[in-house]
Amino acid sequence: MSDKKQQVSRRQFLNYTLTGVGGFMAAGLLVSPLRMAIDPVLKESSSGDLVNVGLSVDDITSEPQRVDWTVEQVDGWYESEPSRSAWVFKNDNGDIVALSPICTHLGCVVSWEGSEDYPNQFFCPCHDGRYEKDGTNVPGTPPLAPLPYYEHEVRDGILFLGNPISREGA
Amino acid sequence: MKWRSKDLKQYLQAKEYIDTIMVPLVPFHLSNEQDMEKDSFRNEVLTVFSNEMEKELSGRMMLMPVYNYIKSTDMNVEKDRLNDWVEDIKVQPFKHIFFITFDSKWRKLEQELDGTLIWLPTVQTGDILSKELQSMIREQVKEITEFIRSYW
Repeated sequence: MSDKKQQVSRRQFLNYTLTGVGGFMAAGLLVSPLRMAIDPVLKESSSGDLVNVGLSVDDITSEPQRVDWTVEQVDGWYESEPSRSAWVFKNDNGDIVALSPICTHLGCVVSWEGSEDYPNQFFCPCHDGRYEKDGTNVPGTPPLAPLPYYEHEVRDGILFLGNPISREGA
Repeated sequence: MKWRSKDLKQYLQAKEYIDTIMVPLVPFHLSNEQDMEKDSFRNEVLTVFSNEMEKELSGRMMLMPVYNYIKSTDMNVEKDRLNDWVEDIKVQPFKHIFFITFDSKWRKLEQELDGTLIWLPTVQTGDILSKELQSMIREQVKEITEFIRSYW
């Protein structure tokens, strides 16, 4: 038994210790360049910008309903557009559609069936601009582009909305 | 739109579409301690309110800078000064001028104003962020929007 205790000599012990410490230091030096090299992979995807708008998917019908929510958007000291709105409904295929209510003409807020004369259309109160249910602008009315739509995602049955995406004119 | 360079640039390009002005009328004072809190709260509510209105109708209505005046002032002088504002505004082809206020003193002068007065009934002091107040404002914005639309 007493022989076995001698198996690790002082020299060996020091060697192991120094190698160990040196290895740690080398690893420490390598971490930052490695982290930088693979950084793009670790970045959160843009869907991180989606915001819970407090609407359950079960409550979305084929009838557009207005949802309002707030986003925190601060550029330095200038806080812009803290509140947002959308018209949300399910289209004929059962897909969820979230349209921005901002008229592409001069930026008023449009409402679904906002005029009794034009059922099944979005109506802009300012200059009688009109849009079909899918957001396409009605030719002959002031707007020249369809309503933008929001990127959306469903998580645990709750609707999340992101940024509005503009579309080309019809 | 508001009276800021970005919007005015747009205004100059689309003048024919923007024919409505809204001027918030807000009394100011620091002399009456009893009313200070109440009056400043009304100022806050009116700011939120006029901003919401502007958002709804931004393509046809321009929100002017707030017209401030001392609360204990001679209202006849203020009326003349306000009409001076309107005179300047009307250099541009604006057809509808709306004044919006919580101050009931303007009601007596309504006839002499060069525009339409929208007088909002008093609100109780409370939390500007409270849900009740926000839904109250939203309701009223809807109503006033309808009212303004009836002039178009």
